[in-house]
Amino acid sequence: MKGKASRRSFLTAGLAAPVAGLARRTMDVTYGGSTQAPAAAPVSYRTLGRTGLKVSAVGFGCMITSDASVIERAAEAGINYFDTARGYQGGNNERMVGAALKSRRKQVYISTKTHGASKQAALADLETSLRELGTDYVDVWYLHAIGNPAQLTDGALEAQQTAKQQGKARFVGLSTHSNQAEVIQAAIRTGKIDVVLAAYNFTLYKTLEPALEAAAKAGLGVVAMKTMAGGFRKARPGTELHAKLSREGAMLAALKWVLRNPNVHTTVPSMTDMDQLEENLKAMVEPFREADQQILAEHLRHIAPLYCRGCNRCLDQCPQGLPIPDMLRCLMYAEGYGEFALGRERFLELPPRAARVHCRDCARCAVRCPNGVRVAERLKRAQELFA
Amino acid sequence: MWARRFMALGLLLAALPAAAQKPDCSLAPGWTQHGPARSFEPDNLFEYMDGNAEGYLLYRFVRMQGVTCRSGGDTIVFDVSEMADPEWAYGMFTANRDPDSPTEPLGMGGQILPRKATFAKDRYYVEFSAEPEKDHRAALRAFALAMEKRIAGRSRPPETLGWFPPERLKPDSVRLVPESVLGLRLLQRGYVAEYEFGKAFLVAESSPEAAAGLMAKLRARFTGNEPAAVADEAFRAADRYLGGLCFFRKGRYIGGFANLKEGEDAAGAAARLAARIP
Repeated sequence: MKGKASRRSFLTAGLAAPVAGLARRTMDVTYGGSTQAPAAAPVSYRTLGRTGLKVSAVGFGCMITSDASVIERAAEAGINYFDTARGYQGGNNERMVGAALKSRRKQVYISTKTHGASKQAALADLETSLRELGTDYVDVWYLHAIGNPAQLTDGALEAQQTAKQQGKARFVGLSTHSNQAEVIQAAIRTGKIDVVLAAYNFTLYKTLEPALEAAAKAGLGVVAMKTMAGGFRKARPGTELHAKLSREGAMLAALKWVLRNPNVHTTVPSMTDMDQLEENLKAMVEPFREADQQILAEHLRHIAPLYCRGCNRCLDQCPQGLPIPDMLRCLMYAEGYGEFALGRERFLELPPRAARVHCRDCARCAVRCPNGVRVAERLKRAQELFA
Repeated sequence: MWARRFMALGLLLAALPAAAQKPDCSLAPGWTQHGPARSFEPDNLFEYMDGNAEGYLLYRFVRMQGVTCRSGGDTIVFDVSEMADPEWAYGMFTANRDPDSPTEPLGMGGQILPRKATFAKDRYYVEFSAEPEKDHRAALRAFALAMEKRIAGRSRPPETLGWFPPERLKPDSVRLVPESVLGLRLLQRGYVAEYEFGKAFLVAESSPEAAAGLMAKLRARFTGNEPAAVADEAFRAADRYLGGLCFFRKGRYIGGFANLKEGEDAAGAAARLAARIP
């Protein structure tokens, strides 16, 4: 099994000390918004790689937004990068975003995405997107949810180049949620992708940061999504956990954590209301503090019992000889980092008994984790997912 | 022996409703299943819906079962999502329907387009997507009608829809907003309707007392508001983003109008809405 980094180092390395070189390279500009725009929150802008677009460090993920007034207010406050997709809300999301930004189209950047794999399907999607957005161009047009380099088909890449030549897409990119590092490296190799949109947050970074750095060095724009939700996947609005995390400032801390990385040029957190917007605006002016670090570390402690810390003290305990730390690590890739494909790939590299020997066949699990990981339960989950 | 038989019968009966909701390619003649059936829950929906799972989770998604059906060179992806209750299933439908195309009386509401069909019935949201590019409406209709018959339970849309005054209401514009109605976190979940002259909303709280507490918070939020004579209590205000607005409380309901065009009577519109709430 490759990658012997322990869960402990995965969980805490990025929080305990600022990552070397993560000094912010931002151009702070105070936005001259209205008196009703959040006055105490100047917006900072970064350059989106070789596109040269000056984008607000906090952009706007419109996917789950229900009311256009939040988008309008964000634009007025100085946020200038708005992300949607053909598939969101059955296409209704593009319609709403277009209507909300119509009066200030030249002052904002709009990105959308296509699932079209062939040239014809992708270009047809783009035409629909332009119509629904009420514009004759998008600033960034992404191939949506690329999980494998093989999905970067010639047809899709050709469609993107055609769209650029026709002036319908100023720049092109891809979004990725799984197998991200590999996909980003593949995007760099094409020489045709201008921007990558990747899931990046405080629980999901170890495997990704080298790829983001490589992308930025190669001149690609880097946009981060799932900046908060990925870290608080179980925290749905309306739940007590969500309320608790909001009260403690965990959401803001998570966004500030992402913005520490200068290889991230903008972020697209989802926003559904004015309060979220105002909180997210603060991320551009408040530094990542010791208190933020503690909040995130506390959350990681909360989820840590689910994950192996790599002490290997369980290795000789399983009478069936299962490679417990390796199996748990695969599960961590899938559930902790959202890297399902990576988890499955690594699992399939393990000795065949990892899939063949079923934990449920043992009447009682002999393994006792000194860190409290519920080993039998977690191994069953790994086998359900990957075997 | 009898206990075992009872248990087996119980298991069979428990499985029946679940089987009825399962997507099935044989529902339309000439179609066969291609590949294995799919099943997803909130924790792994992203494996299937990568990039769009949040849109389902927002509507209290419970699980999805799906199959891919083929007939000749045509493919239909057939997915059935179970939501927490019928209202969420209907909400999912309203969020995803094409507002420029007509709806159909399928379950609580449905739509059949050239390459896509959707409907909601009881707590199920059913979707069909067809390939390749052409008009698949006949096949989609056959599948949708057959599946709609299979699903038992509620086929009436939520009563709340009928409370919005029909005058100058944009057709099929009422939708369930799962969080932050009008972009206000205080209004957690409710219905929004588009009118030619603005938009209306309706939120249900757990009790009149809870609604009164929420009204107090809303008053504090919209400074400079003026009282209005609508229902139990009401106020008018002007907001940069929500425009002219009038919010009222009637019992445990909070409703009103926002983004009203200039010259529209905010309190009058709110009063017409309030009058229709039982």
